[in-house]
Amino acid sequence: MAGAFKAPIVAALAVAPRHVELVIEHPELSMAAPGQFAHILTPGMLRRPVSFSRIDPQRGRAGLLVQVVGQGTAWLAERSPGEWLDVLAPLGRGFQAPDPARPWILVGGGVGIPPLYSAWERWGPQHRAPACAILGAREADGILMAGDFQGAGLLPVLATEDGSAGRRGTVVGPLEEWLARYPEAQVMACGPNGMLAQVSRVAAGATGPVQLAMEQRMGCGIGACLACVVPATPVGPEGPRYRRVCTDGPVFFREELAWSWI
Amino acid sequence: MDLSVRLPRGLTLKNPIIAASGTFGFGPEYARFVQVNRLGGISVKGISPEPWRGNPPPRVWETPSGLLNSIGLQNPGLTTFLEEDAPFLRTLDTVVIANIIGHTVEEYRTVAAGLQNEPAIHAFEVNISCPNIKAGGITFGHDPDAAYHVMRAVRSVTDKPVMVKVSPNMADPWTVAEAVVEGGADMISAINTVIGLAIDLKRRRPALGGTTGGLSGPAIKPIALRVVWEIAQRVSVPVIGMGGIQSAEDVLEFLMAGARAVMVGTITFQFPQRMEEIIDRLPLVLAHYGFRSLEEAVGAAWTSRTADGAEGGE
Repeated sequence: MAGAFKAPIVAALAVAPRHVELVIEHPELSMAAPGQFAHILTPGMLRRPVSFSRIDPQRGRAGLLVQVVGQGTAWLAERSPGEWLDVLAPLGRGFQAPDPARPWILVGGGVGIPPLYSAWERWGPQHRAPACAILGAREADGILMAGDFQGAGLLPVLATEDGSAGRRGTVVGPLEEWLARYPEAQVMACGPNGMLAQVSRVAAGATGPVQLAMEQRMGCGIGACLACVVPATPVGPEGPRYRRVCTDGPVFFREELAWSWI
Repeated sequence: MDLSVRLPRGLTLKNPIIAASGTFGFGPEYARFVQVNRLGGISVKGISPEPWRGNPPPRVWETPSGLLNSIGLQNPGLTTFLEEDAPFLRTLDTVVIANIIGHTVEEYRTVAAGLQNEPAIHAFEVNISCPNIKAGGITFGHDPDAAYHVMRAVRSVTDKPVMVKVSPNMADPWTVAEAVVEGGADMISAINTVIGLAIDLKRRRPALGGTTGGLSGPAIKPIALRVVWEIAQRVSVPVIGMGGIQSAEDVLEFLMAGARAVMVGTITFQFPQRMEEIIDRLPLVLAHYGFRSLEEAVGAAWTSRTADGAEGGE
């Protein structure tokens, strides 16, 4: 289910340079699930899809962590508590709940980190097997929500390309190490396509499910316009089948995506 | 005020606001947000005989006051449409228009024939004007003779009302409109998107996966109005106008330019309920500008008639 509604901003926090987290409140948001998103009205021609960074079903609150990349997100970053956002939400296919008895690896890159935190917030407390969050970015400023993970009982492994926080390099090194130790692990990942392609490749030998949350330029957000597609399987002689990030995703299983076309 | 619109072959719209093809899926997608039965009609996503995969992403790009798209008419094909999408459409209490597409004259005929006995479909919109496919489609739309033959082929297999959607990407779009009316078209819909290009500075290449795209939104409204104006004064059949409509005032502009009804598309992405708001406001706007009926507004700008009844020259 999803609705079209206006929700008040109850908190706005600058969490990093060019990154703001807005918390909005509405009864419909009680239904939100990790990996789903809100399609937010901005002054441009299109709404902006933003994944939930945290979800409080009791209070009907959800976090939207916005990275400023253009005019629409810049406008969002200037909003203040007391103002209202016009949203369509919750939308899309979120993460399938993890098996609490199987090791669980969360891999997030930059602004792809927030939906993974919402997954940990929702399912972490019941998780009985080992779990690990690997957070990567180009530089330390791009690592989001590390404190939230720590506060929720999971000390994340950090990787930055310039070495300014955690290990120098990408998330691939720590992921390989964790998969070597727990080959049966289940993986959830979100980040830039290049990172997800590497996660998909590294996790190809893993026996657990690998779920990847995808991003794409989006039109309607509700499955009507077929703009936000990603190349998916099966790949025929003329190319892949295109599937919608907004309704078939944003979360796909690794096998569903045609990585050689992305 | 009665907003109903009588069109050829017994087709009646409860109001002149139709959801434009390509922006409204096959109907159920927006049903969570929009009271679909309040609309005058919906024109569904283009249907081809076989599935079309569409163009590579990115498929949309924002431009000043516009939206550039390169979807490439991705659709599941006629058979899947009939099995999976038509059942929902049969439950609707509004006019459902099947937008039909093809690479060849025969493909247009195949889709029309395949939908002729489908009760969910009340009319056809023959799409010969999408700028996002290379073979067929727009090559018919820019050639009056080819357009005539597509229309003849469709007419040979259906007695349902047929409109042909014309392209703005040519110097004299009315030549195609005149040709398809000669070929048996009952109506003209105008316009399809305006061909355009955007460059992604960071990636140093065209922003869209399909290189060029079709521009929609308020940026193209003056272009659309001009095409509607030219065609409506040249053909005897009703014209359905579209291009950048955002308000009831915009609808009235199209009516006064000669359209009998309109289609609304891009604005729905921002405001799913805007079409219903336009339907609510249209009687007030018509009255505000001195019209006692919808009919009275159609083509009202042709003779420069003013609200107090004085006539300008022509």
